[in-house]
Amino acid sequence: MGKFGDILRIDLAKKSVTREDVDENQLRDYIGGRGYATKMVYDEVPKGTDPLSPQNKLIFACGPLTGTSSPASGRYMVVTKSPLTGYIASSNSGGFWGAELAKAGIFALVLEGKADAPTYLWIKDGKVELRDASKVWGKDGHETTDMLLAEVGDDKARVACIGPAGEKLSLLAAIMNDKDRAAGRSGVGAVMGSKNLKAVVVRGTGMPYMHDVNALRDALRDGVHKLKENGVTGKGLPAYGTAVLVNIINQTGGYPYRNWQDAYMEKADSQSGETLADKYLKKNSACFGCPIGCGRVTEVDGKKGEGPEYESIWAFGSCCGVEDLEPILRANVVCNELGIDTIGAGVTVAAAMELYEKGFIPDGDLGGGPKPLFGDGDAMVHWVTMMGKGETPLGKRLALGSYRLCEAYGHPEFSMSVKKQEMPAYDGRAIQGIGLTYAVSNRGGCHVRGYLISPEVLGIPDKLDPEDIGAKPQWAKIFHDLSAAIDSAGLCLFTSFALGAEDYAGYLRAATGFDYTADEVMTCGDRIWTLERLFNLREGLTAAEDTLPSRLREEPIPSGPMKGKTSRVAEMVPEYYRLRGWDEKGVPTPEKLRSLGI
Amino acid sequence: MKVLFFGFVRDMTGEKETAVEGAATIISLFEALATRYGERFRTEALPEGELSSELIVLVNGRHIAHSGGAATPLREEDTVAIFPLVGGG
Repeated sequence: MGKFGDILRIDLAKKSVTREDVDENQLRDYIGGRGYATKMVYDEVPKGTDPLSPQNKLIFACGPLTGTSSPASGRYMVVTKSPLTGYIASSNSGGFWGAELAKAGIFALVLEGKADAPTYLWIKDGKVELRDASKVWGKDGHETTDMLLAEVGDDKARVACIGPAGEKLSLLAAIMNDKDRAAGRSGVGAVMGSKNLKAVVVRGTGMPYMHDVNALRDALRDGVHKLKENGVTGKGLPAYGTAVLVNIINQTGGYPYRNWQDAYMEKADSQSGETLADKYLKKNSACFGCPIGCGRVTEVDGKKGEGPEYESIWAFGSCCGVEDLEPILRANVVCNELGIDTIGAGVTVAAAMELYEKGFIPDGDLGGGPKPLFGDGDAMVHWVTMMGKGETPLGKRLALGSYRLCEAYGHPEFSMSVKKQEMPAYDGRAIQGIGLTYAVSNRGGCHVRGYLISPEVLGIPDKLDPEDIGAKPQWAKIFHDLSAAIDSAGLCLFTSFALGAEDYAGYLRAATGFDYTADEVMTCGDRIWTLERLFNLREGLTAAEDTLPSRLREEPIPSGPMKGKTSRVAEMVPEYYRLRGWDEKGVPTPEKLRSLGI
Repeated sequence: MKVLFFGFVRDMTGEKETAVEGAATIISLFEALATRYGERFRTEALPEGELSSELIVLVNGRHIAHSGGAATPLREEDTVAIFPLVGGG
């Protein structure tokens, strides 16, 4: 085994496993995780590959810090070509599975081809078995996890799997790990389903490579102190989890309501983190090695599970016009069991509600199900379930995401998506910088490529006016580069509320032995972002797609604190391109590529 | 004016919202709230007479950092929202 762990290349059709060492030059340049795997996908997945064909590759990758004693180091990435967007997919998840993979001595799994029958992988300390998954094919993620843990006979093993949504190739399908944690976005679960791969069960008893244990210990002393003392990571997130954002985003006037027809919800407190804590919270939870512990365990209908997170509450709540938490919790459970991205699910059902209310979906497509009307929580849960199961004419269309749904009914303008991926829970008309992030994100509508909400609403690390646009391109680039680096390192983005590039450079120096500086970490982020852009350009992306839905650019917010505002994204994109070293068409210049060594 | 409380600020006030009259600025509003809610509010929200840096204060949806901080002027028709430092995503 190489010192950074093995890359296991598994051909599911041939049932072959080959081992490769990590390329240390590539590791240094791309850090690991998201960056390293993107380089592999860029090099190995040819232009025009059908994302759901055997020729696409599905990569699970750790960072050099995954599974180490660095704070919040349970993260791994899934990188592939997305069937939802047609561009790069890089989906991140926490929990414990990623750390277990790293402890099994595996840096990355590269899954190729298509198994001839439902298959799962059982990996113990680097030893791989391809096993028959026919008994769990069709089962939901929770049942699958319990059955496979019993079958391998090791209750300390960890399971990442798809649910029925992934098996049926829903473009919103997630890969679930540890039951309720999701590599949720861009349809990575459908790619796994297309390969007839139901699950990866892993058990590791080793320790990931650490170049200098003492240096890491010294660096951690300061880092953990910062995380504990920080108002967000030491107090706000542990106390309320992410759901505490409901009220502040709503009060800021940027809480999209009824498929973004408005941006303020009068009764948002009924679905807030405060209400969740009062009525449904059973206990807090934390991912591997996390001193923050933002997870929530809740219970509804006798089922305990993690979540819902802020984004999920918003997607099933405000976006669908639903006020009460109970149906929101139910929809969250459905998504965790069936394996669906909650953001994509909620926004897609909201789009169906708008289409139906405006008369574009015929009753005959409902298959006898309830009318999808804004505010009807039972109908929302029903249609999320139909989406996950791929049942009824409307359910089948919902499973393809909001863009294809709206296009099928003749009104793509009702899809609140960028590059066909649904936008998350902040309105780019009220909060200009996050709108820019959505527009230029390499994986389509996404908030975690660069969480501009932090400076624009929460005041961290600086207090930016959400209505201004002047400084936003510069801030967006910094956030995008740093987030790419953190994703690649194997840490949780939430650490960045308290830590900076200097901290991450220290951890990476200790883990790898490479003499990273803060500047170099940011350059690695820039390199990763640029390579993702090159992948997308090769697949046909044009600058015309670096924008927001016309509703955000042309329809002023009708009520609330930001009444009258529209997005000014078109004014920000050119400056963002310039700062990136891209030409006016959004193509990296030869000089830029040379400077990054691409 | 209407004053809304969120997160553990509600633990200091024991209620979700209140009405206050006659406060001309944010700092005078906080003085009035400290008088109303007592020592815990004063200690946590107004340490040493200064507005706590661990609170987020919005006036009609706008962070007071963009309208004058503690000196932000207030009108009777304003809505003030007070949050602890929060985060997420």
